[in-house]
Amino acid sequence: MLSKLRDPSEKTLAVMLLAPAFLLLLMIVVYPIGKLIYNSLYAVDKNGAFLGLQNYLDVLQDPLFWNATKNTLLITVITVPGALIAGLALAMLANLPFKRKWPVRLSLLLPWALPLSFAGLIFAWFFHTEYGVVNDVISRLGLQSEPTSWLLKPNWAFAAICLTVIWKTSSFMALILLAGLQMIPKSLYEAAEVDGASRWQQFWQITIPMLMPSIVVALIFRTITALQTFDIPYTMTRGGPGEATETLAMLIHKYTIDYSDISFGSTLAVFMFVISLFVTGFYLKQIGKNAA
Amino acid sequence: MLRWVAAGMVVVNGFFPAVWILFTSLKSEAELVQKPITWWPAKPMLDNYVRAFTDQPLLTYLKNSLLIACGATVLSLVVAAFAAYAIARLNLKRRQLILTCIVASSMFPLVTLLVPIFETMRTLGWLNTYIALILPYVVLNLPVCTLVLVSFFQSIPRDLENAAMIDGCTRMGALWQVVVPLAAPGVFTAGILAFVNSWDEFLLALSLNSSPAVRTLPVGIALYQGEFTFPWPIISAALIVAIVPVAILIALFQERVVGGLTQGGLKG
Amino acid sequence: MKKRDTLKLATWALASTLAMGSAWAQQTTLRVFVGPNQRPDLQAKLFEQYNKANPGVKVEVETGGATSELQRQYLSTVLNAKDSAIDLFLIDIVNPAQYASKGWIEPLDKYVGGAAILKNDYLPVYQQANVIGGKLYAMPSQGDAMFMYYRKDLLTKHGVAEPKTWDELAAAAKKITAAEGNANLQGLSIQGAPIEGAVCTFLLPYWGQGKQFNDAAGKLTLDKAAAVKGLKSWLDMMDQGVLKKNVAEVTTPITVNEFKAGQAVFAINWGFAYDRFKDDADSTVKGKVGVMPLPAMAGGKSATCMGGWQWAMNAYGKNKDAAGKLIQFLSSKQASAFIAREGSILPVYQSVYSDAEVNKVVPWFKDALPVVLAAQSRPMVEDYGQVSDIIRTTTSAILARTKTPEAGVDEIASRVGRLMR
Repeated sequence: MLSKLRDPSEKTLAVMLLAPAFLLLLMIVVYPIGKLIYNSLYAVDKNGAFLGLQNYLDVLQDPLFWNATKNTLLITVITVPGALIAGLALAMLANLPFKRKWPVRLSLLLPWALPLSFAGLIFAWFFHTEYGVVNDVISRLGLQSEPTSWLLKPNWAFAAICLTVIWKTSSFMALILLAGLQMIPKSLYEAAEVDGASRWQQFWQITIPMLMPSIVVALIFRTITALQTFDIPYTMTRGGPGEATETLAMLIHKYTIDYSDISFGSTLAVFMFVISLFVTGFYLKQIGKNAA
Repeated sequence: MLRWVAAGMVVVNGFFPAVWILFTSLKSEAELVQKPITWWPAKPMLDNYVRAFTDQPLLTYLKNSLLIACGATVLSLVVAAFAAYAIARLNLKRRQLILTCIVASSMFPLVTLLVPIFETMRTLGWLNTYIALILPYVVLNLPVCTLVLVSFFQSIPRDLENAAMIDGCTRMGALWQVVVPLAAPGVFTAGILAFVNSWDEFLLALSLNSSPAVRTLPVGIALYQGEFTFPWPIISAALIVAIVPVAILIALFQERVVGGLTQGGLKG
Repeated sequence: MKKRDTLKLATWALASTLAMGSAWAQQTTLRVFVGPNQRPDLQAKLFEQYNKANPGVKVEVETGGATSELQRQYLSTVLNAKDSAIDLFLIDIVNPAQYASKGWIEPLDKYVGGAAILKNDYLPVYQQANVIGGKLYAMPSQGDAMFMYYRKDLLTKHGVAEPKTWDELAAAAKKITAAEGNANLQGLSIQGAPIEGAVCTFLLPYWGQGKQFNDAAGKLTLDKAAAVKGLKSWLDMMDQGVLKKNVAEVTTPITVNEFKAGQAVFAINWGFAYDRFKDDADSTVKGKVGVMPLPAMAGGKSATCMGGWQWAMNAYGKNKDAAGKLIQFLSSKQASAFIAREGSILPVYQSVYSDAEVNKVVPWFKDALPVVLAAQSRPMVEDYGQVSDIIRTTTSAILARTKTPEAGVDEIASRVGRLMR
């Protein structure tokens, strides 16, 4: 028995290695998900009657659901590439040889140190009509005579939120990409230099391909989190004006906590899961291929 | 030259909000509604910091957050490293499915898992303890850490481990003595990711650790506000207290994360 | 002889064991949930008094949920999990119907008495707010209402009388701001952000026309034309420059800070603000603040929004009898007078407003009584969370001019109508 532990067969080893992860998943995630699905099928908030797929049909007919899904997908489509590009730029800058590296690297990661629950509040203050820095700077530069109410106009509010999300999450992307950049051997660049390749060509033919695994990892999580965007729009505009900036996660929060309608909230969560799976399924296949 | 401009932009981008919060923490509330707005505080005052520490036991919150985040980070890394090694190296038939399951667990918004998790912790008698938060945080960090480690482990050639094992090392030995050191940037990345996620978390901390003795920083800072008041200066002071340890941590470890691969292994 | 002595001894031993046993058994600990902004320090003093009078009971305070929102988040999780750890909570006046419908709070009829006790000197609004389906669900603790604060000094300086209607107020504001010539001085400050206070922003001009939002059974009785008229009056004030253009960004703290900094002639806010204007170190309006009832719409009557906090009992709690006795104490006249004297908290009993001791400390409560008597309660329905959300987001959108008042009121009528049938 001990000899098995000392040098276990592949199968035993696999089980031992995966056990802690799966045990924790079982306790913290699988049980709640089971409850979630149950909640979506039964009227848990009222009399516990079996609802079948009634909740699911109600969701599909709820205009708030479609509005929130549209907003969520829009945020995802804007902030995922946005954070990727910003993160890549930041990572490459941080990778440059400076004599003192820590200011650039610290500023890279500082947006991350700010608790998410407050990032939104701070940027809401920045965009405030009267007391915000943004209006102050623009007015001082003489570009407007009257302060703009950024957060009171649906499209500008949306843009402000996307900007804040990109600001906060580009750190996350930069971190992952930076680690990936560090693992690219310098010799490849030196060889390309010798062969006469330009910086641009080096970028596209060495950096990007070598960085692909990191990019995919970064993208998967940025996408999943983008689909769950909650804190920043919640604290910046509460989903306003009207429901112009309400995301799916905010809708779920609203139904589950504000309205205490756990049944409907759980149903929305199932929809979010399906959407997430669909959107990221493609990425996951890539990782699977690489593992082979 | 361009490099310095770009660097300047990066530094402003990262530091600006933090510096703004710092300035706000030195102002009085009345100054915040002055028009036009002031940047540098007219009369810098440290009262807000005093209030931040006396209105609530901020140091206790800081201690709690640090211990919980560190505990969650270490545990996350260990659990994720095991799982990632199994997925990256061992010949598992359903490797794709396993990875998908792990990643899929992050696709449910936390707010819907809240009540069952609360019930579980209550049944186990773990409410208002560190472990009540550490375990869920490990699960929250698992997908990111596992995926990061999988991709880093995959990029390390198998020959190195095989060489070690021919020399008499076991699989586990190979994991800890060969693979992990080589994937150091990935390990530190996963570590920082886990730490900051645990540090930031709000919803679970609010519900599971409501007692002030075990309260964490994000929850504590949210409590300075009232139904009718939002003391930005005091909250800013508390935020600075919250950011500083993380900033120091990052400054200390950024070398490790970004540090070149000078030791062993990957030549050419 | 010996036998009798033995019997006496045995009886004495038995009696004292029983007495000790029951005393020991009576040592109950009650856990009470209070938000940090609901003056837990004052409540703690009340608990101390109670502990002294009732040695078998110990009261522990748990604070959390600084805002109605955070509190709702925390309690929602805990009560959905049917937690028995907390015995009493101090909840917002708008919550009893919602919590009762979920079975989270216990009817208090058999612990403190039926709904009829609310007729004894309590403010009349509680008979609406705390009685659901004929049963009593919460006992009043801290009162609050929305007041119209104004700059006495400026009104006197420009010879303007206290306005009784909204039109008079708008005219007064315009006259004063024009005469003062201060670009930073706004006429009136109200809350237009999508916070709970925005529900009041919707209801105030509507109630001011003498209209009712719902009937006693909780059915929606919205007069759409009146609602549109009320909202239009806010928009008109924005056009005339009485209200600032970004009023949809204004939250309660911002109104307080602006009035304190002398940037508003009139301001609508809750009762707590008075002490901030009077006592805060950075207040520029000390001694210049007046309080008056909210104006009426032309031909209507003055109305204001009732706020405040109430004691409710956890339906899953294990110490209901002891909790019931504690609630009786905490909602007694003495308790109300105590926190009024010690913390300037608006009393929930009518007679306490003219109590001599209280008036020594807070003379303005005499002026506050007529305002509070005219206070109405927001709709007490089980779906209040959703109703509030619909009203406040729509009102805020209307004030941000992304929705017309007509479209907004239609939306409120249809969506809230479905919930309040």
